[in-house]
Amino acid sequence: MNRLDDIIEAAPRRVAAVRSLDELETVESELVGRHSELAELQRGIGKLAPEERPAMGKALQEARAALTAVLEDRRRQLERIGADALLADDRVDMTLEAYRLPAGSLHLIQQTIDEITDIFTALGYAVADGPEAELSAYNFDALNTPPTHPSRAESDTMYLEFGPHDSALMRTQTSPMQVRWMEDHTPPVHVIVPGKVYRSDTIDASHLPVFHQIEGLAVDTDITFSDLKGTLAHFAKEYFGPATTVRFRPHFFPFTEPSAELDVSCFNCDGGEPSCRVCKGVGWLEMLGCGMVDPNVLAHVGYDTDVVTGFAFGMGVERMAMVRHGINNIRHFIENDIRFLRQFT
Amino acid sequence: MKVSLNWLTDYITLPTEDVATIREAFESLGHEVEGVEVLEPDWTEVVIAEVVSVEPHPDADKVRLCQVVYDEARTPVDVVCGAWNFDVGALVPFAKPGAVLPGGFEIGRRKIRGVQSNGMICSDRELEIGDDAAGILVLDADAPVGTDFADHVDLPDVVFDLSITPNRPDAMSMLGIARELSAYFDVPYERLEPELPTVPGTPSTTVEIQDATGCLRFTGREIQHLEIAPSPFWMRQRLWVAGVRAISNAVDVTNYVMLELGHPLHAFDADRVVGDHLIVRRAEPDEKMTTLDDIERTLSEDDLVICDSTGAISLAGTMGGATSEVSDATSRVFLEAATWDPPTIMWMSRRHGLRSEASSRFERGVDPDLPLRASSRAAQLLAQVSGATVLADVVDEIAVPVAERTLELPLTVVERTLGADFPTQHVAELLEKLELHVSGDDPLVVTVPTFRPDLERPIDLVEEIARLHGYDRFGESLPRGSAAGLTPEQHRERRLRAALTGAGLHQAVHLSFMDPDDLDLIGYPADHPARNIVRVRNPLRDEEGALRTTLLPGLMASLRYNASHGADHGGLFETGRVFFADPDTADPRIPRQPLRLGFAVFGVSGGLELGGSGRPTDAYTATAITRLIAAGLDLEIVLRGTTYPGFHPGRCAEVVLGGSVVGHVGEIHPSVARHYDLGGRVVAGELDLPALVGPTPRPQLVTPSVFPRSEFDLAFVIDRDVPSADLVATTVAAAGELVESAEVFDEYRGLEDGRKSLAIHYVLRAPDHTLSGEEVTPVRTAMIEAAAASGATLRGQA
Repeated sequence: MNRLDDIIEAAPRRVAAVRSLDELETVESELVGRHSELAELQRGIGKLAPEERPAMGKALQEARAALTAVLEDRRRQLERIGADALLADDRVDMTLEAYRLPAGSLHLIQQTIDEITDIFTALGYAVADGPEAELSAYNFDALNTPPTHPSRAESDTMYLEFGPHDSALMRTQTSPMQVRWMEDHTPPVHVIVPGKVYRSDTIDASHLPVFHQIEGLAVDTDITFSDLKGTLAHFAKEYFGPATTVRFRPHFFPFTEPSAELDVSCFNCDGGEPSCRVCKGVGWLEMLGCGMVDPNVLAHVGYDTDVVTGFAFGMGVERMAMVRHGINNIRHFIENDIRFLRQFT
Repeated sequence: MKVSLNWLTDYITLPTEDVATIREAFESLGHEVEGVEVLEPDWTEVVIAEVVSVEPHPDADKVRLCQVVYDEARTPVDVVCGAWNFDVGALVPFAKPGAVLPGGFEIGRRKIRGVQSNGMICSDRELEIGDDAAGILVLDADAPVGTDFADHVDLPDVVFDLSITPNRPDAMSMLGIARELSAYFDVPYERLEPELPTVPGTPSTTVEIQDATGCLRFTGREIQHLEIAPSPFWMRQRLWVAGVRAISNAVDVTNYVMLELGHPLHAFDADRVVGDHLIVRRAEPDEKMTTLDDIERTLSEDDLVICDSTGAISLAGTMGGATSEVSDATSRVFLEAATWDPPTIMWMSRRHGLRSEASSRFERGVDPDLPLRASSRAAQLLAQVSGATVLADVVDEIAVPVAERTLELPLTVVERTLGADFPTQHVAELLEKLELHVSGDDPLVVTVPTFRPDLERPIDLVEEIARLHGYDRFGESLPRGSAAGLTPEQHRERRLRAALTGAGLHQAVHLSFMDPDDLDLIGYPADHPARNIVRVRNPLRDEEGALRTTLLPGLMASLRYNASHGADHGGLFETGRVFFADPDTADPRIPRQPLRLGFAVFGVSGGLELGGSGRPTDAYTATAITRLIAAGLDLEIVLRGTTYPGFHPGRCAEVVLGGSVVGHVGEIHPSVARHYDLGGRVVAGELDLPALVGPTPRPQLVTPSVFPRSEFDLAFVIDRDVPSADLVATTVAAAGELVESAEVFDEYRGLEDGRKSLAIHYVLRAPDHTLSGEEVTPVRTAMIEAAAASGATLRGQA
């Protein structure tokens, strides 16, 4: 039995000294192989006295298990070392851009429209899309715009050679869709209208003949000026950040009364930074026009102005995006230069 | 409009001098502040001096030698001056040696052409208190010699540049602004009621209004013994601060009163009006008139003119005529103060490109009760500054009587719009601050003064109540919504765009116009539906001459833009409307304007290897994009090879959805691509957007089978023109329900007799058991037989 103990005791050191799988195989056959001392002892069992045999048998079995375990551990170690070396050799330069999956982009105008749309759909607004080639009757008359209003001039509005003279034009605002939507729906009405609008403008750094607006309209039995303020203050915080404050200034639009312009606090300097590139030191950014829907507009679509009131607002999508993303030239939006487009994904 | 605080102080004492507070007042009243300028004397050591001698310079003829005095001893000081607009006795601002002028310009003693000059006589430009650089500033005869010039100038001052909205004619004047601030700060202001000394007499000029639509009222005064001269310094300075150029006393006074009271005036030289009888009428067609800017204008029947016996001598409310213009020789003027129809003036001033301070007031609507007060003020000032006398009688032709408007304001209208915090008393107080007369309880009976033509309805009064109450004092609340949100189609449109960006395409936005010639470039024949164009009647440029009928020219042009800026590949897509000249189905009064999806790709596409190498774009790029869209939207589409204008004749497919063709995709015809300076194969597609995002059945689960599959390949030889999809469909149909997938994995087109070989990999699987060889073999045979029936033979068995 002493011999057996010696074998077991010596084995770990011996195995630990093994440096390769080949060497381990040699050592393994020396320790537990057919010509090993262990096998010798095993074969010698028959020569023992019958009463000694079970104990010896058990001891041998345990010894074999112990040696096998030591060998197996070492084998696993050696295998791992070998694989690691192989993998280490298989390394690559992970900074190299050796393969690129295609990454397209939504146009920044689309992203802006989607983002603003989501703010309003979360408030229970529907989203409407309307004709861009529109009737003068919807673009102007139904919106309480007097026949003599300067915005009707050919210098401002593009008219189409379609239908009676002056009847069809490219809408100058998304507001006519207010009228179409109200004609098709009874109050309560909560809708926004994103889309293209058209003006007779020469292209320069801040003007395009085609740009985008988002119109909003809410008409219900108990809408007041405070609802207009609350809704747009919520929008401003969502779009420009929770610290944003708003200011409403009286203004004039033909289709709202009272009318207001909304300023938001400058998100760049928090106001009052004279050299601020965004607000030019004013602290406020002029954002959109809004107001309570003029009763003439509601009456025009047959709503009972003794029962319902509403508010409306309209914002320029390009302006929103330009302010927030530091874009200084509106032409970028229509050049479709991929170097511009892929910056906003 | 520029508002000087110093000038304003003539009428109102504000409770604050803080610029930010006053700015806030303007903003809160709805008069947007576009700029604030602080004016201060930016000089030292400038005194008022008297010129006591003027001699020619011995060696220079552009400058003169002057002597000025300013100390009590009247010590003559030599100075050289290059201006010629003064003479001995003139009082001038004089910069003493050591003075510093604006811009840090130091004045010393120096020799000019050999003559000692001890200071400088200044122009208003040099002092930055005016912009007349032609001569030096000559002060009024009563200017105190020897005193500091800074004390003589109305500085410092703060000038607000206000943007007055088009509905507020009343705010286009200093007095109107004083009235607004009076309401805001709750302090009184002084209404101007000029006291006019007159001499008995009746104007020699009579007036006849023949067009009562255009001219509501015409008043005139005659002023005699006028001496045309420069206006006094204080008036010139105020005009300059307001941005109006000083000309002569007669003209300056009319401008001054326009700025002060808001009523534009026009002075005729009464001696140059021929026939002493003025007629207000519309112009004759092609009638000619020379305006005082010396431009001969051809008039239209919409123009409103004032005529003497020679014809038109003034464009009403817009610009006077050259023949009756006030000149240095004028001594008798007929001063017009008339009420014009706002739209008439607006269109006339636009038509002739003559928008002015006067037209901007008339087109808003000047108070019809103001003319006589305005001309009285002007006459008073003329008498004061030029010693003129004013005849007591006036001309006052009234075509439309002036009347105040009375409105009834039910308090419910206020409450429904503004909320519940507006009791009668508060409402009445707010309106009375604006000089509206309020009586009654509910409804309130409100009398609107004639200077507020914008207050026509109860809701207009509500706006005034809100404005004076202060927009910032209203609370904020969120109203209930309609539980609406995006429609299924709108959701699917977002999925469509996501699929396209996932394919590496960038969304483009184009103007919705085209030059009709673009359709030639893109290769559309004369009878193509896209030729059914709507033209823009008043385009600014040829490129905007018509509404686009296809998205492709815009996309191709943008590919060209990218290529010309160095890109070697790129893909764009656009969703937007195209427009056709036939009536819209939903509203026949407007053109049909369906939404489309377009895309275009050049160079390589898909994933890119090192060095930017990737799969060159070709027809299969177009079909891959199309299939990706279909997969992204759960659409069962079929692609069928076809020919279509603009596309490569052998590399174009129509996209079929639910049995209808919804668009075309493929390679752009090489000659079209060349028009856009694009080499290589360029692919594009244009599809009907509503068809893609319209309702589609929701996919129903097919449980993936857990049993092993059976797979085999078949290679067929078939006519080159038979679409592979047809052969796949034929064999799959013959296999029945067991086919899980069938994919062409090789195409070889090099066979004889115009035939090709197609190798197809089939996977068969049963949902409920393992397929046995006995099951698969007859299926395979049936597939081969079906293929044979359609003209395809198994390869190697021909």
